[in-house]
Amino acid sequence: MKLFDPTSTPVQREVKLARAPERLDGLRLGLVDNTKFNSDTLLAKLAERLGRRHGMQVALTSRKRSPSHELDEGAVEALRTRADLVISGIGD
Amino acid sequence: MGELDGAPDVARLIEAYYDAGWTDGLPVMPPTEASIAAMLAGAGLRGDEVVGEIAGRNAVVTAEKLAINAVLAGCRHEYAPVVAAAVRALCAPDFAYHGPASSTGGSAIVLIVGGPIARRIGLNSGNNAFGQGHRPNATIGRAVRLVMMNALNTRPGLLDRATLGNPGKYSFCFAENEDGHPWEPLHVARGLAREDSAVTVYASNSLYQVYNQLAATPEPLLLCMADTLGNLGSPNLRGFNESLVVFAGEHAELLVTSGWSRKDVQRFLMEHTRRSVADLKRAGRLPGAVAGADEAAWRYVFEVPEDILIAFAGGRAGSWSACLPGWGKKWTRSVTVRVDAPPVDRRTA
Repeated sequence: MKLFDPTSTPVQREVKLARAPERLDGLRLGLVDNTKFNSDTLLAKLAERLGRRHGMQVALTSRKRSPSHELDEGAVEALRTRADLVISGIGD
Repeated sequence: MGELDGAPDVARLIEAYYDAGWTDGLPVMPPTEASIAAMLAGAGLRGDEVVGEIAGRNAVVTAEKLAINAVLAGCRHEYAPVVAAAVRALCAPDFAYHGPASSTGGSAIVLIVGGPIARRIGLNSGNNAFGQGHRPNATIGRAVRLVMMNALNTRPGLLDRATLGNPGKYSFCFAENEDGHPWEPLHVARGLAREDSAVTVYASNSLYQVYNQLAATPEPLLLCMADTLGNLGSPNLRGFNESLVVFAGEHAELLVTSGWSRKDVQRFLMEHTRRSVADLKRAGRLPGAVAGADEAAWRYVFEVPEDILIAFAGGRAGSWSACLPGWGKKWTRSVTVRVDAPPVDRRTA
């Protein structure tokens, strides 16, 4: 009895993770709004609270084309170079 | 005595595919080397060719995996070019696979096939076009769903998070009825040639059959459709999205005899598919309390006429058409892809 496997294994891709910051104080903050309902409101509130508690400044905000789309490479690069910490979300 | 004691080998094979988790819940057709090779030949593809990939998932669909899933679904090898074209469309960036495939909205992937291949392989475009009874309709859509589950890892409860789902997730494939079509078929309206074969892939949460037996002109019929497309429970009243409208039977005839163009129908639907801000607030589809001006402030469902896809299918008798609202604002767009059939089918030549 021979079975033919119809499945595919995801292609392996190396992903380099950024090092977690040791302190939050004074970090440059990046926000990624995925366009879900109220995501902009929630991100703004988070940023405000982080600013108040840790003196973090929003360096840039990226808005995705839709929740289904990935962030484009240009936006990823901008976040990489201009932000120390990025908050992405939200779900619903 | 065990359930499979004395069962023929094919029954054991079918059970083995169940055990492996490789079916959609229905029994599959166990593949053989020969049936996979025939499916590849039918598609005109080599096994190692990449048919499509979803970058965000690091997922690749090779022709071999596509062929295995098409055999499992019960496709004949002549259907393979349509399955391959549909998978290419699924993987197109504009379709934005992740959303419609994984959302709680539980979309069916609707395949609308046009051009000569539809007739050649016997795809149903007439009576019961959305229903049971025709092998190409049943198995081509099923093959695409199996590719999604098996090759793109979109399994219920894992990367398929549908709250309810819908029966169209087993298979939803039909051909346009091009005989007596009042206008050009959908794929021609979208820029392909009439002699091209094509498949349009479209994500829809739901199917509403629309009834109107008294309309003597297009307007009353289209008002029913606008009301259906703009009902308060429809998923995307807050944003602009695509919707598919399928005219059938007496409704199609009414449009033909009335001399309305595709554009006329699209414009009418665009202008009339709307809800007042007050309605939306009362129904909790917009936040906030109803203010005086809200009764006369309108939110429109469609932004441009082309957001309304129109197809013709179904039997001649009956006062029925259908509306299939799309999933997700403009988070996904329908994609039309030419079907590249091998010039001569090596299996039947």
